[in-house]
Amino acid sequence: MPTSSKKEKMIEGVIPESKAHELLYKMVLTRAFEENAEEMYGLGKVHGTMHLSIGEEGVAAGAGPALRKSDYLLNTHRGHGHFLMWGGDLNRMMAEFMGKEAGYCRGRGGSMHIADVESNNLGAQGIVAGNLPISVGVGLSIQMRKTDQVVLTLFGDGAANEGAFHESLNMASIWNLPVIYLCENNQYAMSMAFERAFRVEQISERASAYGIKGLTVDGNDVVAVYKAVSEAAEQARKGAGPTLIEAITYRWKGHSKSDRQLYRTREEVKKWMEKDPIKRFAAKLDVDEAGLKEIEKKAKEEIRKAVEFAESSPEPDVNTILEGIYA
Amino acid sequence: MRELSYMEALREAMRQAMQKDDRVFLIGEDVGVYGGAFGVSAGLLDEFGPKRIIDTPISEAGIAGACIGAAVTGMRPIGEMQFSDFVVIAMEQLVMQGAKMRFMFGGKAEVPFVMRLAGGSGTGAAAQHSESLENWFVHVPGLKVVMPSSPYDAKGLLLAAIEDNNPIMFFENKVLYKTKGPVPEEMYTIPIGQSHVVREGKDLTVVATSVMVSRAQEAAEQLSQEGIELEIIDPRTLKPLDEKPIVESVIKTGKALIVHEAVKTGGFGGELAAVIMESEAFGYLDAPVKRLAGLDMPIPYNRNLEYHAVPQVENIVEETRKLVKGQY
Amino acid sequence: MAKEIIMPKFGFTQEESEILEWLKQDGDKVDKGDPIAVVSTDKISMEVEAPESGIVGGIRYKVGDVVPVTRIIAYVLQPGEKAPETDAVPAAPKSEATAAPAAEEKAAQPAAGATPAAPTTFSISPVAQRLAADLNIDASQISGTGRDGQVTKKDVEDFAASLSAGAGKVNATPSARRIAQEKGVDLHALSGSGPNGRIQAEDVSTARAGAAVQAAVAAVPSIGAVPGLKVLKEIPLVGMRRTIAQNMQRSMQQAPHMFLQVDVEMDAAEGLRKLANQNKVADAPKISVTALIVKAVAWALKQNPIINSQYTDEKIILYSDINIGVATALDNGLIVPVIHNADSKDLLEISRELGDLAQRARSNKLQPDNLSGGTFTISNLGMFGIDRFTAIINPPQSAILAVGKMNKVFVPDENDQPVLSRQVALTLSADHRVMDGSQAAKFLTDLKNSLLNLGEILK
Repeated sequence: MPTSSKKEKMIEGVIPESKAHELLYKMVLTRAFEENAEEMYGLGKVHGTMHLSIGEEGVAAGAGPALRKSDYLLNTHRGHGHFLMWGGDLNRMMAEFMGKEAGYCRGRGGSMHIADVESNNLGAQGIVAGNLPISVGVGLSIQMRKTDQVVLTLFGDGAANEGAFHESLNMASIWNLPVIYLCENNQYAMSMAFERAFRVEQISERASAYGIKGLTVDGNDVVAVYKAVSEAAEQARKGAGPTLIEAITYRWKGHSKSDRQLYRTREEVKKWMEKDPIKRFAAKLDVDEAGLKEIEKKAKEEIRKAVEFAESSPEPDVNTILEGIYA
Repeated sequence: MRELSYMEALREAMRQAMQKDDRVFLIGEDVGVYGGAFGVSAGLLDEFGPKRIIDTPISEAGIAGACIGAAVTGMRPIGEMQFSDFVVIAMEQLVMQGAKMRFMFGGKAEVPFVMRLAGGSGTGAAAQHSESLENWFVHVPGLKVVMPSSPYDAKGLLLAAIEDNNPIMFFENKVLYKTKGPVPEEMYTIPIGQSHVVREGKDLTVVATSVMVSRAQEAAEQLSQEGIELEIIDPRTLKPLDEKPIVESVIKTGKALIVHEAVKTGGFGGELAAVIMESEAFGYLDAPVKRLAGLDMPIPYNRNLEYHAVPQVENIVEETRKLVKGQY
Repeated sequence: MAKEIIMPKFGFTQEESEILEWLKQDGDKVDKGDPIAVVSTDKISMEVEAPESGIVGGIRYKVGDVVPVTRIIAYVLQPGEKAPETDAVPAAPKSEATAAPAAEEKAAQPAAGATPAAPTTFSISPVAQRLAADLNIDASQISGTGRDGQVTKKDVEDFAASLSAGAGKVNATPSARRIAQEKGVDLHALSGSGPNGRIQAEDVSTARAGAAVQAAVAAVPSIGAVPGLKVLKEIPLVGMRRTIAQNMQRSMQQAPHMFLQVDVEMDAAEGLRKLANQNKVADAPKISVTALIVKAVAWALKQNPIINSQYTDEKIILYSDINIGVATALDNGLIVPVIHNADSKDLLEISRELGDLAQRARSNKLQPDNLSGGTFTISNLGMFGIDRFTAIINPPQSAILAVGKMNKVFVPDENDQPVLSRQVALTLSADHRVMDGSQAAKFLTDLKNSLLNLGEILK
């Protein structure tokens, strides 16, 4: 667990207060980013598709920030929040989202493949469970290089039903690899409801099949996620192997822009919206409604500037189209 | 004739096949209430229920295996890979099991299933959702590979594929889903393994697949103004390939341009070029057989780069002009 | 300092010359202006002179080599000097003009400024130029893919690869090969319209039937003497002989010839000529029959500009200049000196020029300008006793007139009584791509009438 500065107040004894305020701001910023993204998509300013994590910001706020800068991140297709929490620069992120040369991936990757290898952010993933086997390799590498790094591997409930999930957790467990498997269970694999896709009550139960620690936490509670990830990291650094953490949360928006959401009811969505992770965390920090409004205003202004930056950035030059395929 | 979209034509084919034969069922990710990622199976759940329109967890290898196992025991499954890119996860089942089962078992096993796959770029879905992988399967004995380019072909070929007693990889195209065309209401089949002369012309043979057929047609309209007449052939089935109309056409025109979206290196164009050159048409070739195909690169996210990564109408026009004028 | 001896450029369109003879060898002492080598350009032999006094050294080419103009062929050295170090320059076969080690020197020493500018806007990168020199390749044959068509290093490499891979082979499409086989056409004799000269189906289809014959004939020498036959002498196909061979072969292959004949009574013209010669002033030249015909042809050409023309693939060019070449036999070949603007010259001027040109031709003193710019040719074999014949068009012209011997014949007069008349047979060979029979006939009729009424056109 990261050590706090001298006598700073710790939120629930886990997160230093100043850091907590920073996380709250980034949660708001994530939501502002995605709301803006949705708007721009509607206006035809971006093409393709995007996967919004609105309602799931609590998992992102509690995950990456619980680790060190030297650790690794394997992100998912629904990873805007995780990207920002890992320290991503909003301007370059926005530029990537808009397919610009100034973007993190020079406009080649887009929202679904955004990465920042320099900061050990090994990228977002378009293939469900595609990053799980990679985590085995990253863990092995850490072990071989004898560092005390860990790798945070994110995935959704859907990925837990791919073969790659099982192969990866087994390999990581038999070799005691320093991997944190964080399953963001947002209740739906696209339209496939958790109850229809699993016979276990909790995905974390599957940890027992590989003889590793598994736990389920409230994903809309930043502190709970932060605490679980911190502890898993501590275990991993000690050589105690991987942990499977299941963070329960909910996707407010459709799977992607083409989702008509016929598989769930409005009531269900509303019920979950009452468990808004941002409001809950703000309450813990004694930030009132007016205070939150202030933060939102600031975040929106930052988004506005990022859009301005991205829009004024040049398009990739078509003559460079074949760059970056081979070394 | 009544017009349907490519997507509606596919849906109608599935509906009619399922009405006629209760061994037919659809299995895939989000094919039920969601209606499939692109809406191809919308409404089928209401009509046939969850026992025949089966939503799966995200488990592509499982979907492929389920098709194979059901097919070998008397059912006629239609599987769906939400994006054809995801078939990579199901490769073992399809290539090592489904394709070879009949042969390995001395010809005694029947594995009649259709795997529908949504392929192609042009939607901004970037590198992991835009590939054109059809030629991988052309290389696997035991599989048939079908690639419809129009609503009419989509329905006729899908019905033929469902009736066929072999495993069939059925490559649909995402940007074609909404294109419209005349489609008969009754059930009909287009034989697997029959090329289609889409347009007749004397100056150059264009062999194009999937979305490139309509781009070639558009190019042909433009070139016709200049007095250049393209003959366009759509193989429709990459495997088995109906070579005769292609060979005859090249004998007539003396020049061939192959157009496909998949990357050039190792693409189906190489196979087609070899077929032409091994045939009687060789002696009639008055220019090298040329390939116009996707650049050797993953599909980029940026809209403009994505556009330039695969052949467009203007590329076909330009390439054709050069070939016809002997200035390739 | 070593002084380069450059392959000179003699004519505006000349790009290369063949070395016929070295008059001096390495080590020979020369004075400035001494002839060092004899070279051939087109149909005439020219002498290359020493640019300054000294000792000849560093001769780079041997007899028979074809050298692009402005290239260094040797040096004049001062005592104690050595010829500059260069890579060995192997002899180049005719078809692959010799490489350009000189190119570097030329770039480095613009002071060698006596060399005329290159004829085209050819551009090559320095690296490519060096490579071309090393590989002994004439870079001007390479089509560049660089900026503004500049020849790049890769272009040179590709060209070299294609040369070695395709040496002696025919570049043709399968379709062209099939048609050629069906028609019995030798592809070696054709030039292709496709990329890098690739022969395409159309090239074969449009090749004249004559092409096959010509090619077959042309192919014979290349296979050597017929076994069992005693060889009297082998005449190397160099210089003028080769130029004639190539031009005539090209003409017959490419230009569909049509032939029109007319017999012309020359009594009136001859009367006029004799009268003029009897009354000429002391040093004026005698007027020849050829001069009469040149004058008449010039007049007829002016009435029929389509004859005074040139065919290209894109267009037919009609010239207003009327420059009439007169084929002149030499011991070892044939040259065609040209009377420029013959239509604006009188009989005396034409006669004087004809005499002068004949004299120069026999003494090998013709200047390039004397031989260039012809728009029509007259070939007269009358002095050899030939009654009538057909000639091959002299490219790039569109027509040629063959003139036979003047014969005395009986012709019926208006009362159908035989009267003696002097007649000459004129045969026009015309390029059917340029004109049709009626146009050629109109010209020939005009020519006939002008000779019948020579006095009219001389007014």
